[in-house]
Amino acid sequence: MMRRIFIAGAFAGVLAGCATPTTYEGMVPTAFDNAKRHAQSVSVAVSGGRETDATDKPQISDAAFTQALTQAIAQSRTFSRVVTGAGGDYLLTVALTGLDQPSFGFSFTVKMEAGWTLRRASTGAVVWQQAILSEHTATTSDAFAAVTRLRLATEGAARNNIAQGLARISRLEL
Amino acid sequence: MHAWRSLAAAVLAGGALLLNSGCASRATANVTSGADVAGARTFYVAQTPEDTRGIQNLIRDNLVKRGFAASAGPQTTQPPPADVLVTYVDRWMWDITMYMLELTITFRNPANSFPMAVGNSYHTSLARLSPEQMVDEVLGNIFNKSKENTK
Repeated sequence: MMRRIFIAGAFAGVLAGCATPTTYEGMVPTAFDNAKRHAQSVSVAVSGGRETDATDKPQISDAAFTQALTQAIAQSRTFSRVVTGAGGDYLLTVALTGLDQPSFGFSFTVKMEAGWTLRRASTGAVVWQQAILSEHTATTSDAFAAVTRLRLATEGAARNNIAQGLARISRLEL
Repeated sequence: MHAWRSLAAAVLAGGALLLNSGCASRATANVTSGADVAGARTFYVAQTPEDTRGIQNLIRDNLVKRGFAASAGPQTTQPPPADVLVTYVDRWMWDITMYMLELTITFRNPANSFPMAVGNSYHTSLARLSPEQMVDEVLGNIFNKSKENTK
């Protein structure tokens, strides 16, 4: 009987699945609503992210969000280039401060909040600062497995956050 | 008969996996670069509309215990003047009794609601803390992180 319960438990564990981290590819917007392309360069710093524990929900790591943001800036040409480390004309910091993820359901809606700050690198003066709220819903048509559905919803919320942030930056007079 | 027993065992094991969240714990804090949390003296704790347990008062009392001037009240577009607007999200779970599973506290700039700092604590049933302890842990981590950043 114990052997049967052990096997059944392992089977149930496989069915429940392990959380997989969000991917940077899933967080890069596919379309941009940018008003303007800035000629200056920018360096990027992200904080507040978390690595995904196999028993936890999919999280967004600083590294993955940084990579997604860097690629999004390059694709949208919001700035002329992204500088690694110091040396850019502007410093864009994004603090990931809120990730609201459901535990049960067929449709998973994930809500996210991030604090975006753009500073002039030479003086450190804040040029623009805003809390950006975003969300995304993933349904069973996106993925049958709940853990995958939650990851897709989380990546979608991050993708929308990046799209909104870059759209607002593109409207600034730098 | 054999198949039914196996199925029942699978359901039991699956249910146990679903309900037994073990003793996972997590406590984190992050202070936004450039945010002056250490210089803040006055706080206004805005009650989360869904909160019927009065967590805003626990947060206010903890801030007062730490030597700050703090008040609590409803979420409003015109909060009373303060250096920091405090918001929170509390999640509860049932395991024999209700307990606070997770608490996230966010310090915001009252002028634009920009998040200056955020702290989060998560304790499942076997590692559960009282709401007062959860509040103390989250606020303690935010202030400790703020001190680390100003060094």
